[in-house]
Amino acid sequence: MIGLLSYFVFFACVVLILGIIALGLNLQWGYTGLFNAGVVGFYAIGAYTHAVLTALPKADLIGNFGLPWIVGVAGAMLACAIAAWIVALATIRLRDDYLAIATFGIATTIQLVTLNWDRLTGGSNGFSGIRRPLSDFFSTPFSFNLWYLALLSAITLLVYVALDRMLHSPWGRVLKAIREDETAAIALGKSATQFRIQAFVLGSMLMGLAGALYVSFIGFVSPFDFLPILTFQIWAMVIVGGSGNNKGVLLGALVVWGMWAGSGVAVAKLVPPAYVAQGGAIQVILIGVLLVVSLLFRPGGLIGENVTVSRSVHG
Amino acid sequence: MSKWIGLLAALVLHAIACTQSVRAQTALTCPVKIGGVLPLTGSMGPVTKKIAESAQLAIDHINEGGGIKGCPVEFILRDDQGQPTVGVDAAKYLVEVEGIKALTGTVSSGITGPIISAVSAPSKIVQISCCSTATPFTVDGRSQGYFFRTLPTSKTQAYATAAEMARRGFKKTAIIYVNTDFGSDVLHFVRQSLPKLGGDIAIEVPYNDNQPSYRAEVTKALGAQPETLLFIGFPKDGVTVVREWLSLGGTQKIALSNSNRVQTFVDGVGPRYLNDAFGIDNAQTEGSSVEAFNKLFEVKYKYDSKGPGVHTQYDALIVLGLAMNIATDLGGPAIKEAVRKIHTPGGEPVGTGPDEFRKAVALIKAGKPIVYNGATGPLEFDANGDVTGPTLVWRIDNGTLKVEKVLDIEAMKALFKKVDG
Repeated sequence: MIGLLSYFVFFACVVLILGIIALGLNLQWGYTGLFNAGVVGFYAIGAYTHAVLTALPKADLIGNFGLPWIVGVAGAMLACAIAAWIVALATIRLRDDYLAIATFGIATTIQLVTLNWDRLTGGSNGFSGIRRPLSDFFSTPFSFNLWYLALLSAITLLVYVALDRMLHSPWGRVLKAIREDETAAIALGKSATQFRIQAFVLGSMLMGLAGALYVSFIGFVSPFDFLPILTFQIWAMVIVGGSGNNKGVLLGALVVWGMWAGSGVAVAKLVPPAYVAQGGAIQVILIGVLLVVSLLFRPGGLIGENVTVSRSVHG
Repeated sequence: MSKWIGLLAALVLHAIACTQSVRAQTALTCPVKIGGVLPLTGSMGPVTKKIAESAQLAIDHINEGGGIKGCPVEFILRDDQGQPTVGVDAAKYLVEVEGIKALTGTVSSGITGPIISAVSAPSKIVQISCCSTATPFTVDGRSQGYFFRTLPTSKTQAYATAAEMARRGFKKTAIIYVNTDFGSDVLHFVRQSLPKLGGDIAIEVPYNDNQPSYRAEVTKALGAQPETLLFIGFPKDGVTVVREWLSLGGTQKIALSNSNRVQTFVDGVGPRYLNDAFGIDNAQTEGSSVEAFNKLFEVKYKYDSKGPGVHTQYDALIVLGLAMNIATDLGGPAIKEAVRKIHTPGGEPVGTGPDEFRKAVALIKAGKPIVYNGATGPLEFDANGDVTGPTLVWRIDNGTLKVEKVLDIEAMKALFKKVDG
């Protein structure tokens, strides 16, 4: 019983971390219409910044400063903000699929840098010893995970409330206006480029935050954590949950990751041992089918965007 | 809100109080569960199919040979999809929900690493990998001794290669290596050993696998005017690299890493260019217990057992099976200690297959020491949880692969001492 609870605490932590990335992507895609296909790149920058700042010093690595956890988290968000700002300046004039290709390329570049800059990142071996908040106090795995879940819940709530307030402010309405009709927004005197950069940088900072939270949860980082498949998973969460609705994407994170993990359990339970080597393929098929089905029946996502109609129409 | 915070605080305190007692539940319940995490799909999928089959064969042999402490073994295998988050989640599920007593896995070091630091070490579950080579895992203390692997580390191969290169008078060597944990690990140890043994490195060039051509990498390597080549990588890309190396004017004095000891590599490059080439391989994979395993595998699956990880995966599970029989209880700390007792000097030798396992169980019950000779030959874990083994030097003689000589464990120990001091 306690085992099941312990697993679900762990599972919930992963869902919340993925949920924070999805919130970041939702700000970029769901509200502003920026097709960021390089989600994992910013996640990687956040993760490595946190790891390098907080891990204990090692002889053959530069960095690993052993700084406090909170410095690592703040540093990760700052590093992501700078990186996203540079990327935004270079790519913000690109639209739709062109932006997607550019950001995808950037994410791949970042992953290759982490793979090859041995002195900083430990190369393909990765490194461990990354600081986990209050890990001395919560010494058993279950108590630590429970504490971490509480911490993650608080952070997610904070991010959610902050985003909610921003998106319901005039600033948020400009983002939607740009998404719907950029020319019209410009005609109303709004600098579309400035708003796009702001949304891109803010969204990427959330991805970086999630990266820092992930590595300090796992305690290990390597370039294999940042393969393009993660970008695809986050997109699936945003689309399945409901693009343009922050509750929706959090639900999407839960549902998609639940399917991913749950299908593995199902295959292990249902496939007879003799065919277990083939069972893995069934799991991948199952995930694909579930995604397609959910999109067929709920094309706008599980919780779609709230319809906002001008007050004067009701007038 | 405050009600929830209070509830949460109570839960946390409760958890701190009771997790210790949960971990103490090491009593025997049938069946005994062993978990596995392997990349059944994803880029390693094609290679892993045979590894998973080998794992299943080992479980069959344990069960036919009497199980663990009289209980049958249930093996629960999960797919990591080549993705760390998926692998860690699967391992966590196996440990917490299924209540496995030990774990085997996985292939990619990028997934084995987070499983060690987030699941097996904190939960005190013994994990044995067939295939992850990254050196730091066993050395830097993160595993707290709960991680073992049944394949010799990159260090063994690298030092032996460097020694043989020095003996043959290889100078000004260009190293072309695959840019993965395997390649950079071997490179690291060659760099450490070659200068001490009398060789020198002209240039190091990494390559990414599965490219149609490596002309750029080879040209860069030749730019340093090397006299010899060390290729660290896998045969498919190796054929391309070595062909391009030769056609652009590189020498035929070539040293090769272990996985190129296959006929497809020799035929792909062309045998007549390879008479001055040599390679190093693990010499463990010889002997009667190895042949017995190969035969049993072929009988069950109707094809041969050749392939990476097949033999080491079998040993990983049999070692667990033996250790769990030896251990006083099925808690992680007891199993961890027992893993070292599968090779007790002076013990009765036992081999592979169900009959040998039954023999081993009988010996253990009688309190007698055993020496396990596995699908990879004699197997003994060092202080870190790594296996060291004898190595062999192979070469190509007019198109056929030949073993030139074997460096036994004593010779390897002397070599380690010479380099590490």
